[in-house]
Amino acid sequence: MSGTDLPTPTSRPGGAFDAHRPPDAALVGDCVHCGFCLPTCPTYVLWGEEMDSPRGRIDLMKQGLEGEPLSESMVGHFDACLGCMACVTACPSGVQYDRLIESTRAQVERRHTRTRRDRALREAVFALFPYPKRLRLLRGPLRLWQRTGGDRLLRRSGLLDRLAPSLAAMERLAPRLRSPKADRLPERLAAVGETRAVVGMLTGCVQAAFFPGVNAATARVLAAEGCDVVIPTGQGCCGALSVHNGREGEAQRFARALIDRFEEAGVECVVVNAAGCGSSMKEYAELLADDPQYAERAKSFAGRVRDVTELLAALGPVAPRHPLPMSVAYHDACHLAHAQGVRAEPRALLRGIPGLELREIADGAVCCGSAGIYNVLFPQPARELGDRKADTVLATGADLLVTANPGCLMQVAASIERTGGRIGLAHTVEVLDASIQGRPAASLTDGG
Amino acid sequence: MSDGSPGAAAVSAACDDVVPAAEADAVDGVRPELIARPRSAAETAEVLAAAAAHELVVVARGAGTKLSWGAPPSRVDVVVDLSGQDAVLDHAAGDLIAVAQAGCPIATLQKTLAPAGQRLALDETVAGSTIGGAVATNLSGPRRMLNGTLRDLMIGTTVVRADGLLARSGGRVVKNVAGYDLGKLITGSFGTLAVITEAVFRLHPLPEATAYLTVDAADGASAGPLVAAVVHSAVVPSAVEVDCGASGCVVAVLLEGSADGVAERTRTTRALLDRAGASEVTVASEPPSWWGSYPWTDGQSALKLTTALSGLSRVLAAAHRHGAAVRGSAGSGVLYAALPPDADHRTSVSELRLACRTEGGSLVVVDAPPAVKAAVDQWGPVPALDLMRAVKQQFDPGNRLAPGRFVGGI
Amino acid sequence: MTTTHGVSGDVENIAEPVEDPADGVAVRQVRAALQELLPVAAVITDRARLRTYECDGLAHYRVTPAVVVLAEDTGQVATTVRVCAEYGVPFVARGSGTGLSGGALPRADGVLVVTSRMRAIREIAAADQRAVVEPGVINLDVTRAATADGYYYAPDPSSQQICSIGGNVAENSGGAHCLKYGFTANHVVGAEFVTPDGTVVELGGRAPDSPGYDLLGAVVGSEGTLGIATVLTLRLTRTPEAVRTVLAAFDSTDDAGAATSAIIGAGIVPAAIELMDALAIEAAEAAVHCRYPEGAGAVLVVEVDGPAPEVERELAQVEEHCRACGAFEFRVAADDEERALIWRGRKSAFAAVGRISPDYIVQDGVIPRTALPQVLRSITALSESSGVRVANVFHAGDGNLHPLVLFDESEPGQSEAAEQVSGKILDLCIEAGGSITGEHGVGMDKMAYLPRMFSDTDLDTMQMVRCAFDPRQLSNPGKIFPTPRLCGEVPGRHKGEHPLARHGVAEIF
Repeated sequence: MSGTDLPTPTSRPGGAFDAHRPPDAALVGDCVHCGFCLPTCPTYVLWGEEMDSPRGRIDLMKQGLEGEPLSESMVGHFDACLGCMACVTACPSGVQYDRLIESTRAQVERRHTRTRRDRALREAVFALFPYPKRLRLLRGPLRLWQRTGGDRLLRRSGLLDRLAPSLAAMERLAPRLRSPKADRLPERLAAVGETRAVVGMLTGCVQAAFFPGVNAATARVLAAEGCDVVIPTGQGCCGALSVHNGREGEAQRFARALIDRFEEAGVECVVVNAAGCGSSMKEYAELLADDPQYAERAKSFAGRVRDVTELLAALGPVAPRHPLPMSVAYHDACHLAHAQGVRAEPRALLRGIPGLELREIADGAVCCGSAGIYNVLFPQPARELGDRKADTVLATGADLLVTANPGCLMQVAASIERTGGRIGLAHTVEVLDASIQGRPAASLTDGG
Repeated sequence: MSDGSPGAAAVSAACDDVVPAAEADAVDGVRPELIARPRSAAETAEVLAAAAAHELVVVARGAGTKLSWGAPPSRVDVVVDLSGQDAVLDHAAGDLIAVAQAGCPIATLQKTLAPAGQRLALDETVAGSTIGGAVATNLSGPRRMLNGTLRDLMIGTTVVRADGLLARSGGRVVKNVAGYDLGKLITGSFGTLAVITEAVFRLHPLPEATAYLTVDAADGASAGPLVAAVVHSAVVPSAVEVDCGASGCVVAVLLEGSADGVAERTRTTRALLDRAGASEVTVASEPPSWWGSYPWTDGQSALKLTTALSGLSRVLAAAHRHGAAVRGSAGSGVLYAALPPDADHRTSVSELRLACRTEGGSLVVVDAPPAVKAAVDQWGPVPALDLMRAVKQQFDPGNRLAPGRFVGGI
Repeated sequence: MTTTHGVSGDVENIAEPVEDPADGVAVRQVRAALQELLPVAAVITDRARLRTYECDGLAHYRVTPAVVVLAEDTGQVATTVRVCAEYGVPFVARGSGTGLSGGALPRADGVLVVTSRMRAIREIAAADQRAVVEPGVINLDVTRAATADGYYYAPDPSSQQICSIGGNVAENSGGAHCLKYGFTANHVVGAEFVTPDGTVVELGGRAPDSPGYDLLGAVVGSEGTLGIATVLTLRLTRTPEAVRTVLAAFDSTDDAGAATSAIIGAGIVPAAIELMDALAIEAAEAAVHCRYPEGAGAVLVVEVDGPAPEVERELAQVEEHCRACGAFEFRVAADDEERALIWRGRKSAFAAVGRISPDYIVQDGVIPRTALPQVLRSITALSESSGVRVANVFHAGDGNLHPLVLFDESEPGQSEAAEQVSGKILDLCIEAGGSITGEHGVGMDKMAYLPRMFSDTDLDTMQMVRCAFDPRQLSNPGKIFPTPRLCGEVPGRHKGEHPLARHGVAEIF
């Protein structure tokens, strides 16, 4: 994917972009420059400058389409976008910024030559994160790294300096490593009582490696609510990280493999408990639109993808809930709230638990800075956003922070830890699981 | 200038009604030569043009009720008396606006509006005041708390410039941001920028019911919390006034609205006052005798004191120490004080000014006997004075409109 | 610095000069001086970045500024302005860039001073009913910061979630609730202000009625032509005890207009009365799913607020008048969520029209309220005769119309037709005794119309203020007034001839 064998951008009459899926000029034209997106854009919140806002980035795309070259500064502002899609929610004109930035990123990856260091970092990220097994293997050394403050040799490379803090945060948060067997999910879990649906379940990469408990809770809750749960073995990555970072080909490969795997399973719908994965799986139709073999299948697959809270809310509760007397701050994961429009369902499910008090977080629409691998690529702004989020989360005074994405949990947890605050952390399904299983509130806040 | 001078002849030619000035026409002790009574804006413009051509100094006058306010002019050749232009030109009740000539008494305007159930939300704190005089001095009273002052009520103006040209700004609609808003600049300018001939106002509906709650307080320090209790509540008073003399203070609250609403808000307000330590609350449908008037009498020095709301008690206490009677819009942070003739004016003014400035406000000597005016700094420090001088220079390069009447010798 | 087109050093270019105002001698000197005096990150000269500041909320006027300064504090603003004054280079202030009259349109030969980083709320002084804020603070954030103390900031432009206080001050912004509570001018009581020669002065103050001329009154609404406000003291308003919001649906705008007149005529001053016609409803529905009643030819959004007993009574009266004028549905918001939904439809209406039309013009005119039915009929007739669709959204309570003129730029002739209709609507406003702008300002967009409202002398008189503040006309020149007034003797080093014209390109490299 290096751009060395492509003609230099400036020699193109089309300016910054080539003819392969450039940002759609018509979509660019939809922007009326009203600015309603600015206050929800995390980089505008941080820096207060036009070129680091959705409106400004659309202006940059427009410039590119009009013939301006793909300059270093332009790429910098595209890269700085977290892809949180808060602007898509905020836009009254219905500008599809999600599609615009995705096509722009693919162009940048193809046409822009990054520095060697940047390239190395990105290669490392994509050689690691989409592979659950590799992540899992890394957990042992990570604990060691944490204890010793990092191997000096590794640190000098600079690379690990970036990667390791994120991974270390995961490691800190993740439950103690047990033998792989303990967390292994069965291939099939039968519904408790009458079967109301047959669902497939995505286990994910980071979720599977670091938070196997969330997957186990998901399966239990689904079964308790009357679902036969099918968990195909050998699931790969969904391709979310790749597609959100312009690595189109890689994303397509992951998508095809996942479609194959779930088609064999024969399920009504595919349930996802990680917001980022769900959002990109719902967009498989666009990703594989040009693939004659997969276009139709991708469309059908995408139509069957559900966030776990979406499915549970639609089914309605049958399993009795036990009280959880505690206050909960619910954090909207960007890829759930903005990308999938799922806001009401998790709140309704949480409110359905007796004794549980739901609290809203101020400026809830603004991203926490996790944003896939953003906190690895841009640690400084990610950290500032995380700190802002930590402040607003702690201001709720809630006992427990609940969200639907492993990235968000780690990001906010790291910031809360830095500021010396304390709050319990859980995925939505873990709270539901505790309530259905009748476990005490303390089981959630004490890191159990 | 003398009667037979070319200037006098030009003014007489410009206006049908020009007479020599009498002793009683003196503007704060400065006697003019001529009194011109133009009957229209156009005629007013003619007079100003004539004055401009002959470099005559002009002071505008309405009913002449506040001519001694401000500083005395350095010279006056012609008083342009606008009392003949006293008509209400239009009352568009459905649009809640009215247009009046500058010489129209406030009372006349209110009488015209009342049958339609409307009013200009401006208190006539000086009896007989005209619209033009009120604008020139930025007159305000109790209702400023809810409805604002003239700068908030006046939506259009017609003025005659120093060079005799007629100029309008604003318009007949409340919401309007076309061009600069000259009305605000003219308001409170003491006739130093232009002569106002017409004003357009936004109106408010007359309330169905009115209640005045009064409560005694031992002194300014104990009046402060009573005022604050009402001001920071949600009962939406139209005014919160104080009247403090040697024997203590009275706090008065005005509620306006529907009959039922005012009755219930009266109960709420009474409870608020009780909780803030009120002794006894009296409710009446008529205002107390001192309401909407200034505390001074002839021979006393008239001060205007302003303060941030939180500084009210301290400013009241300072005034008390200087033996000043104080009255005014406590709910807006605007107070008026009267200093007795035997006061040490220099000391009182400078110490009270310091007290006001400490609370983010200011002190202006509105009116005083000539000796006092000569002895004290009437306006105190005025920020951005250079800009004000530049504005004056643009509007009146010959310095012929009420010279010396205003801040910094403008 | 990184200009990639235009002037270069070769012979052909000298023979055939390319006029690049951003590369004039004075501009280059200003750029160099700013880069020396300000932090690196504060001075933008990169072409791609500069171009993101080409326009404000009115995107069809675009000019790339020569330099953008992202100021952090008063000192940096004053430094920038002083440097501009020294070299006679114009400057334009910009807040969030949401203005709808092109008021913050940059100058190709000038500096754009952006205040979006000056966004500290310095103080919420509830005991004084004041807030002290920097100009880049977002309007809605003032209310958010004051809510806990029982206060709010009353002016609420529809863009309040993003427009800045500095921009509000420049434009004297209004909003739905200014019917009862007034405009920005009524709620700004003090300012720290950088005059066009770079001097910092105080205008007004925390207490009312500062002695001297009401310069602040002249500055608010002067569209950035008198200088740049760097700190503002705002009046906070007590949060009302009760707020009731209703949505009344009518068959026609005539009925809704009649209801408005009846309500006002009865002596009720609601916090807001907003009217939307069928086309505007359709757009809002598409954008935010506000669930307005189906089949409505017009809706009124009426809000009454104040002490609870007054509010209940006014609500009953409003319902009575609406029903008498033919309202077929009268929906009272049951909770904050329903209230927010009703307002969301209204407040997103402008941008939402993008859902039903590829292009549109947001017009802003004012008429006396009683002229509403007649002017609306004229607009309908205009729309029918021209074939140009017009959606109506407006602040009915104070007669502030916001017709949205729809067109498709890609269709030949449509753009011109829309411009024509838009202009004729302003004529209707002037004929009815109204104004060409109620809250968006004159800016670039309406300069040509200003002389239809005011005589030459009127405009000349206004510009006497301009000459007092800015004799060299460096602060946002070329806005509001179609014919700049000569200010007489101008202090300062030089004026007149553009440096480029004098020096030509021979001096450029």
